[in-house]
Amino acid sequence: MRSRVSVAWPRVRDLLQDLIDAADHHAEYADARFVRCRSERLSTRNGGLDQLDLDESEGIGVRVRAGGSWGFAAARGGDRADAEAALSRALAVARAQPAATGTPLAPEPPARGAYESPAERDPFAVPREDKLAVLRAADAGLRTHPGVTLTLARFQARRVDKVFASTEGALCEQRLTECGGGLAAVAVDGDESQIRSFPASHGGHVAQGGYERFLALDLAGNAPRVSEEAATLLHAPACTAGRTTLILTGEQLGLQIHESIGHAVELDRVLGREASYAGTSFVPADGIGSLRVGSGQVNVTADATNPGGLGSYRWDDEGVEGRAVPIVRDGVLAGFLSSRETAAELGLQRSGGCMRADGFARQPIVRMTNVNLEPGAAGTLEELIAGTADGLLIDTNRSWSIDDRRLHFQFEGEAAWEIRDGERRRLMRNPSYAGLTPEFWARCDAVCSASEWGLVSLLDCGKGEPGQVARVSHGSAPARFRGVQVGVA
Amino acid sequence: MLRFAAGRPTQATAIDDVTVELAALRGGHVGRATTNALDDEALAACARRAEAAAEAAAASSDGSYPGFPIPAAAPPAEGAFDADTARLDPELGGGALRQIFAVAADAGVEAHGTWTVAEQERAVATTEGAIGERTTDAYAKVICIAPGGRSGYAAATASAAGGLDAAGLAATAARKASESSLEAEALAGRAARVARGAGRLAELAPGEYPVVMEAHAVGLLIDLLGETALNGLAHAEGRGALADRLGEQVAAPAINLADSPRSRATLPRAFDAEGTPKRPLPLIQDGVATGVAHDRRSAALAGAESTGHALTPGGDPHGPHPTNLVLAGGGARGLDELCAPIERGVYITRLWYANVVRPKETLITAVTRDGTFLIEDGRITRPLRDLRLTDGILRILSRTQALTAEQQLTSDGEFYGRRFAYGVVCPALRASGVRFTGAAG
Repeated sequence: MRSRVSVAWPRVRDLLQDLIDAADHHAEYADARFVRCRSERLSTRNGGLDQLDLDESEGIGVRVRAGGSWGFAAARGGDRADAEAALSRALAVARAQPAATGTPLAPEPPARGAYESPAERDPFAVPREDKLAVLRAADAGLRTHPGVTLTLARFQARRVDKVFASTEGALCEQRLTECGGGLAAVAVDGDESQIRSFPASHGGHVAQGGYERFLALDLAGNAPRVSEEAATLLHAPACTAGRTTLILTGEQLGLQIHESIGHAVELDRVLGREASYAGTSFVPADGIGSLRVGSGQVNVTADATNPGGLGSYRWDDEGVEGRAVPIVRDGVLAGFLSSRETAAELGLQRSGGCMRADGFARQPIVRMTNVNLEPGAAGTLEELIAGTADGLLIDTNRSWSIDDRRLHFQFEGEAAWEIRDGERRRLMRNPSYAGLTPEFWARCDAVCSASEWGLVSLLDCGKGEPGQVARVSHGSAPARFRGVQVGVA
Repeated sequence: MLRFAAGRPTQATAIDDVTVELAALRGGHVGRATTNALDDEALAACARRAEAAAEAAAASSDGSYPGFPIPAAAPPAEGAFDADTARLDPELGGGALRQIFAVAADAGVEAHGTWTVAEQERAVATTEGAIGERTTDAYAKVICIAPGGRSGYAAATASAAGGLDAAGLAATAARKASESSLEAEALAGRAARVARGAGRLAELAPGEYPVVMEAHAVGLLIDLLGETALNGLAHAEGRGALADRLGEQVAAPAINLADSPRSRATLPRAFDAEGTPKRPLPLIQDGVATGVAHDRRSAALAGAESTGHALTPGGDPHGPHPTNLVLAGGGARGLDELCAPIERGVYITRLWYANVVRPKETLITAVTRDGTFLIEDGRITRPLRDLRLTDGILRILSRTQALTAEQQLTSDGEFYGRRFAYGVVCPALRASGVRFTGAAG
């Protein structure tokens, strides 16, 4: 669903246009972004208010290509003199570098217009007391088991306004609003400590939308169960080493997609541009149509149009319209996450529209949109469990790590449910598993149906230097993997 | 910040920004608001947001935050600022890249990496007073990739760009490239040699092996120890790895760890985000746990005093973190001496994608990267397929047998968000029985 609501300011548009006009005389290409970010974070800890942060920032980032090299400079605020100084600085740092031959940019029609992501209820207009009341009720629900020594409940909302202009005639603006939260219970007994989170760890679940996204989480309704599971885990049997069938759902499956497929198909990594930091990829640049990355059950799409996705937008941060790009079809590599420069370098017709920047003070880099595992035909989660003789079910992540080629990974969930004779049985603690990306996805023999498909959010995807944090979503339905190495940590 | 890949520049970034963080105290609660606008209207609006936040918090419950300290006139941290670095001359970085590219080209390898400098002014003001300091930092990293795909790494962190010796690195590297001892080489020249490697790739099955870790690998472990064991909030809440263990032997007697914020070997800092003056803090002495880091909130919870480790006024939700950790060196004269007693083991240049698995056990997992070798009969013999390390940090420190006398300021340069440069000073070490759970890609 697209709407067209103007969120920008004539003064900002004029300033960016003037900057671009000035840059046109000195650079082969230039773009400028004005970005205003506003966020609100509330959290409770053991029933008391722990954090109440209200942040705002705005500024302009100018990116130029001069002499074949890129230069980027950022200045806070929207002052004309500061913005012009940023342009001069961007040109200076570009020219100071050793001479380079710039790759042409993949063609793209100039982005024009305005977009605002849907939000039923403005989260910044909701009284703070209302939010606190929801958090306190959830926190109280967590403090129901004696083994639980730390309880946390969180709310967060974020709004980003952007205006973008380029020397190719783009001038567009968009407003993206996000809202969500989560809770966690920590149980401690001697040397043992366990945590359970809902609906996801690492900050909870956030979606593009309004306050309704937060209320829909029903934190208070889930709190007693989460508390009980945390306490139970303290004395639950530990996951033992061996090979077994694994069913992944929710956040854990989303993170599996994110780390082993999403990052692996970022074209800057594939082309070696991130070798010094984020790393490279096991995926070769010429792998489209031939590289098998999973079983025939595995179909992955990068889709910047998913309602509610944190990787959804009308235009990326170099003015390319967001769209759906096939990444894996029937287990075979079908595409990449790309920018105009990397797409052109590979000979692709068009950028995948994946350039995103963390605020005004970072330049756009290749990032994930919503990288989704398409639904299969295995029915509901309960039907999938019923068809599984023995195994483990993991849905919430505790720890993750993968090598710099995105090949060997090791994850540990907060908890696992033992599956025996087609039934979900007891909780097990410390469920770790490991594998090699293509081998692991080749073991996928079932993906649940569309009725089970949903988005999960990851709020802290780090990449780039200076460091950038991206917020992304991944859609999936529960999936089953045979013969996975577990109990590795 | 300049980035480069395959011997050509890829990104160049210049940022000028300000953060004003206003913290209001009401009824034991802190409400915070930030802005990057400095005009009167924006600052007043920011103050109103902070006050509103604090009042909303105070209305919800009684808080326990003890209040802000009166900023004391702490002496400036010597060595924290360099006027030449503060000029942020773009030509300095451009020249560094040219030198690195030339060295890599001569060595027949691709150069990838980063070169960056920054200048920061930081001040804490309360209704009772104010304190401020001006700092600079510099960081360079070179990863060379040989035609066969093997990579080598070297990096340096300093308060001043001159500490990177960027202009002289190429000459040093060229001169050292033919020398045999690993520890004698520097940055690009060293990375080029490591990348070339020698012989074929060896593989090791999962299991426990003696290791030699360069300072970069040790620094990452020590930094994660700060998160899992030295965090005063986790400690006070019983989640920390040292809860109920202060005074106990938690590492080998050779392990001496302190936070030394005024040491010129670190990135020196005079005060923390609450205005509490920083001072030396012993953490592990002769292997015995002696303390953890506190901000004012965690200190109040623990019945202790702030040690000057607040990351945010009022206390970061994740707790305080030591930012000037120094692991004392030992008696080993170099990496060769560390390798000498090992019959069959693993040489690790650096660790990558480290993440905490179970904080109370200080259990982490990470993969080796950019220079992993097999040690046989006391010397490095062959490049080794990268490995996944999954082990407890305190367990590794308990099995530490020797440390080099030489220390290095290490950092991953991962200065996320507002630039927050910090690092760990540490030596290389040898430890027995380190656990590897698989081969990496």
